Amino acid sequence: MSQDLVYLDYAATTPIDLRVVEAMQECLTGDGAFANPASIHIAGRRAAAIVDSAREQLAELLDARPERLIWTSGATESDNLAIRGAATARAHRGKHLITMPTEHKAVADTFRALAREGFEVTWLSPDDNGLLSTELLADAIRDETQLVSVMHVNNETGVIQDICAIGELCRSRGVLFHTDAAQSVGKLEVDLRNLPVDLLSLTAHKFYGPQGIGALYIADRPQCSVLPIMFGGAQEKRLRPGTLPVHLIVGAGVAASLAGDEREVDLAHVAALRDRLWAGIAAIPGLTRNGREADCYPGILNVSVAGVEGESLLLGMEPVCVASGSACNSTSGEPSYVLRSLGRSDADAQSAVRFSFGKLTTEDDIDTAIERYRRSVEHCRSMSPVT
Amino acid sequence: MAASEPYNEEVRALFENPFHAGDLQGVYPETLTADVSESEHGARLVLYAGIDDGKIAEIRFRAFACPHLVAAAEVVCREAEGGKLSELPTIKANELMERLSVPVGKTGRMLLIEDAVEKLHAQSGCAG
Repeated sequence: MSQDLVYLDYAATTPIDLRVVEAMQECLTGDGAFANPASIHIAGRRAAAIVDSAREQLAELLDARPERLIWTSGATESDNLAIRGAATARAHRGKHLITMPTEHKAVADTFRALAREGFEVTWLSPDDNGLLSTELLADAIRDETQLVSVMHVNNETGVIQDICAIGELCRSRGVLFHTDAAQSVGKLEVDLRNLPVDLLSLTAHKFYGPQGIGALYIADRPQCSVLPIMFGGAQEKRLRPGTLPVHLIVGAGVAASLAGDEREVDLAHVAALRDRLWAGIAAIPGLTRNGREADCYPGILNVSVAGVEGESLLLGMEPVCVASGSACNSTSGEPSYVLRSLGRSDADAQSAVRFSFGKLTTEDDIDTAIERYRRSVEHCRSMSPVT
Repeated sequence: MAASEPYNEEVRALFENPFHAGDLQGVYPETLTADVSESEHGARLVLYAGIDDGKIAEIRFRAFACPHLVAAAEVVCREAEGGKLSELPTIKANELMERLSVPVGKTGRMLLIEDAVEKLHAQSGCAG
């Protein structure tokens, strides 16, 4: 990591593991698996074999069958394919869909687009801690409901939804269940042999793999039919056309393999860092933790602070790299819609900072973040007319 | 300034050293106050002008605002201090936006500067 910055934005993207880089580099030269895996000549077949090997590595991480994984460009594309593909495939049965306002925009905006095309979408609000009540979900499911989408770990707060209970409920009511697991795969155990999940989106760059490669898991059940949303080739079971990026897929496979081996150690590491950070800032007057500790993935800590403007807070924290409460709306400066959905005021949402850590984060990084955060809060408050 | 760099060097310097941040409560017998806000982003700016013999002897600001508006407020204070109250309206938001490389999307917030200055000026008949 560059010495002139402290990177605490692992929930946005992780640095690539050097072991992943090494494996990818081997693909990128004339001696490597550079060929098109769809080609039937020897070089193409070699590339296809490497793609299959990476698929097996990812499948092992998820305890899934390799043939149930479709390579995509990332979680956003996976979300679009899963939601639009499943909704349109089942539209003849009914056009009612269910999701939450705290979903990532890749999910929420896909549902909004479907709503404009004649689907009916029910938006279930979380409780004050960001969790979905299964009773609320049970009441919302109707005979014509076809799909429920609830993310596993929230990208802003780290809140972990009980996707096992949600999935079981959906199965019992004959409804497909999709989860955006971009923030959990490679970090928490995701065991698709036992989880009642029909569709799952993931991306490699959240677990030390390269950007630009992800996957969609589709359960091996007759109900799990998905229609393609792009056209132009027979790749990936005709669900996702386009030449496969072999070096990215190799990177995703190696990253998945490493995540499986190191997940427990990484989890303990980020939990210790999260506790150290919280201990260092908890005494700041007016501080609110967004998401209850027991409900959250420990690699994310989201806090709001009263009387402080978010953008100024972030500038005052440089060179510590964190996400603001308006991270997904940085051009508009709008307060986080996720935090507003949890009942936070606009001011609290706007002052929110998301710290997220990973395996390269050190205690020194956390100590620097504590010092810069405290100093920036003090600086902003010294100028503020808000008392 | 690179397109990916949101703040130019002057904004960074002004934000880090806002010498005029604060208020003048109880310092001058005649202190004018202009309190303006913008609901969309919750920005708020308060200017305090200590008047002595028709001049702005001292001026301070308080801001709940983004770094650009903080920097703009500091510029206004530095330029206004010691001058005549009647000269304040020559400060224009668009000129400040150009000088501080403020994104167009922040025009609404930057207009708070003009609003605050106009409020001070409107009170000038009562001053000194």
